[in-house]
Amino acid sequence: MSELASSMQAFTAVMRRDLHVYLSYRTRLFSQLLTSLFSLTLFYYVSRLVHLRGFDSPSVYFAFVVVGLALVSVMYSCFLIPEYVRQELVAGTFDRLVLSPFGAVRGVIAMSVFPLILSFVMAVFTIALGCAVFGLHLHWATVPLAIPAIGLALLAFLPFGLLFAALTLVIKQGNVGTSWLIALMALTGGVYFPISVLPSWLEQVSRLQPFTPATGVLRHLLVDSPEAGALGPALLKLSAFAAVLLPLSILILTKAIRLGQRRATILEY
Amino acid sequence: MTRALHSEPASALEERHPPAIAQVGVAGVRQQRDGDFAPEDFALAIRDATKRWQKRQAPILDGLELTLKPSSLTWVGGPNGAGKTTMLRIAAGLIDPDRGSVEVWGLTPRQNRARFQQLVSFLPAGDRGLYARLTVRKQLEFCARIAMLPRARFRRSVEQAIDSFDLHELADRRVDRISMGQRQRLRIAMTFLPRPEVVLLDEPLTSLDGDGATLLHEAIDELLTRDGAVLWCSPSGEQLDMRFDARWHLDHGRLVSV
Repeated sequence: MSELASSMQAFTAVMRRDLHVYLSYRTRLFSQLLTSLFSLTLFYYVSRLVHLRGFDSPSVYFAFVVVGLALVSVMYSCFLIPEYVRQELVAGTFDRLVLSPFGAVRGVIAMSVFPLILSFVMAVFTIALGCAVFGLHLHWATVPLAIPAIGLALLAFLPFGLLFAALTLVIKQGNVGTSWLIALMALTGGVYFPISVLPSWLEQVSRLQPFTPATGVLRHLLVDSPEAGALGPALLKLSAFAAVLLPLSILILTKAIRLGQRRATILEY
Repeated sequence: MTRALHSEPASALEERHPPAIAQVGVAGVRQQRDGDFAPEDFALAIRDATKRWQKRQAPILDGLELTLKPSSLTWVGGPNGAGKTTMLRIAAGLIDPDRGSVEVWGLTPRQNRARFQQLVSFLPAGDRGLYARLTVRKQLEFCARIAMLPRARFRRSVEQAIDSFDLHELADRRVDRISMGQRQRLRIAMTFLPRPEVVLLDEPLTSLDGDGATLLHEAIDELLTRDGAVLWCSPSGEQLDMRFDARWHLDHGRLVSV
């Protein structure tokens, strides 16, 4: 069997392990689905109260927010990776990856796959719930195109998770900076309101991160939105983020693991 | 405990070893040259290993030298904090020595990482390293997958581990629902599952009952009959019902023959 096939099996094994662990907590999925329903309900009624320039009706704003919420869960899943790494360090299972032919770098990348898939499923569920319960109208013709678009967004978000995983291996804390970064990206990425309402300097900040083009692309493909922006430049920006940051984050993760091995801190937690 | 050196055809050796080792051949692996072994003749060779936790402190390992021949069982003892675990972690390729090197059949953990890790298996001390919410079988399957065993060997290896370590009744139970001794048996099963060439054991008898210890002895016997090597570390004074080929005491960062 080729090296590639063995690697793929090991990759799948990590995903299956995470799936089994996830399913062993029987109420977790139900709880997540309920959270999604509550968020949608909240913003459904908020959309009935607020009137924003450029949004013709409450339904347009609700559609705007639903896509933002769906994408936030995807982004959030990337930032779970450092926490998973920390859990592995605490449980003493991380050395199993380091000492396996599969290796820790591929192990950490594989660790990110299940949360990403789950977040994708949750994003689909959120949008589906928006349609079924709250009357959200989708552009059904372009819905299939949203799938590769979310995939591209994941590749653009993933480096942030890997970079924080590398940081976790060095400083042994999983959540340093992740919560404020998520908040900053959500704030400047146009999840709850269009970035045009931000002060101009903050609006410029919003253009320096992948969340803004990702929300733009998805809104363009899924719903009627006045702030969706042009599709081409947004896709190009997302591709650039993924192409530059992904190899860079993998390199930094590799260096962090090697540093831990040199300093003999790799198993500390 | 009985054990026998046996020869095997070169093709079988090639199947188990990476090509670089297979080229040396059975004779090459065993042959003593000019009164000394060539690097590839040793299952494990730790050379001049030095490790210091803080610059101004005395090193925990101070130019440590240790070689394991094929089919050998070696014991290293010493008081708590003598550096046994550090030595094993360096031997496993988990951490780097400040100075010195580690080779398994001539391969180093930095230049041939994946190959090296296919040959070496490490049982850390304690009861960590298990996924609490996975069943025993799932744990073994995960272990086999990340060991990147060929598809043909995967199922057989898992079933063999269950058989060899008498885990049938536990196979479908979650790890957080089994006893400490049973967990230790599982950890040992995971260590031997990929059929490594060199096994590093850190206090392997922890929590094991008599039956568990017997199963461990049998697994070691099996490894030694296929020219593997075992390095067993435990605190001095522990009663061990094993016949070791070499016994060492770790003292001030160096090994002293016992």
